[in-house]
Amino acid sequence: MAAVSQSFKTELLGAIPSLRAFAVSLTQNADRADDLVQETLVKAWDKHESFQPGTNLKAWLFTILRNEFYSQMRKRGREVQDSDGIMTARLAVHPAQHGQLDLKDFRGALEQLPEDQREAIILIGASGFSYEEAAEICGCAVGTIKSRVSRARARLQEILKISGEDEFGPDAISAQVTGSNAA
Amino acid sequence: MKEMSKKQMADAASRHRNGDGNPLGANSEIARKLKQYYDELVSDQVPDRFAQLLSQLEQAEPAQKKD
Repeated sequence: MAAVSQSFKTELLGAIPSLRAFAVSLTQNADRADDLVQETLVKAWDKHESFQPGTNLKAWLFTILRNEFYSQMRKRGREVQDSDGIMTARLAVHPAQHGQLDLKDFRGALEQLPEDQREAIILIGASGFSYEEAAEICGCAVGTIKSRVSRARARLQEILKISGEDEFGPDAISAQVTGSNAA
Repeated sequence: MKEMSKKQMADAASRHRNGDGNPLGANSEIARKLKQYYDELVSDQVPDRFAQLLSQLEQAEPAQKKD
């Protein structure tokens, strides 16, 4: 087994803050998140030879972390949430004034999303991955990621009672076609 | 059909405008909150255990040598 290079180690260290953020987003639990990151680092170290230098290390690590998360969930005998089966009944956050949305409310809303939607919107909207990279990380089609992001966004708007965000909603395109500010 | 091509044009235009970098819309409340939520997590101080872990892995390495 080839030795782990110093630069690989340095890059691992550098990726830890992002890994922790992604792990918390997935688990919604700080302790579980750090265990997940630890497991990810050990796995990444063990299979460092399968990483192709020059490709996106962060995406590679996120893939490992995500696989580990779902494999732990399966071990715990917990069914992976299917977004189609989620009840909307428990969605109850008091309405937020537009522009004054509290971060705590947002966190609560995010927590209510099914895992597949939450991870999609985090990867695309926060971690800075492209749809293609996110699809690779999640092992699904680009179109699946797009639809999960769009459902996540719609769900968050619904929970947080945000309206008037038409610029990116399903109506955005038609609004641009028919709308007044088609510049 | 005509509808479709209009839609695609608008889609492309919007992608161009946003530089395709902000799929959620740069100025949307949700996009901003999501960023804020995540940035807060990223900026959280990393516990020492992780640097220690990597050092341990490094030290253990020669002993694990295979072949």
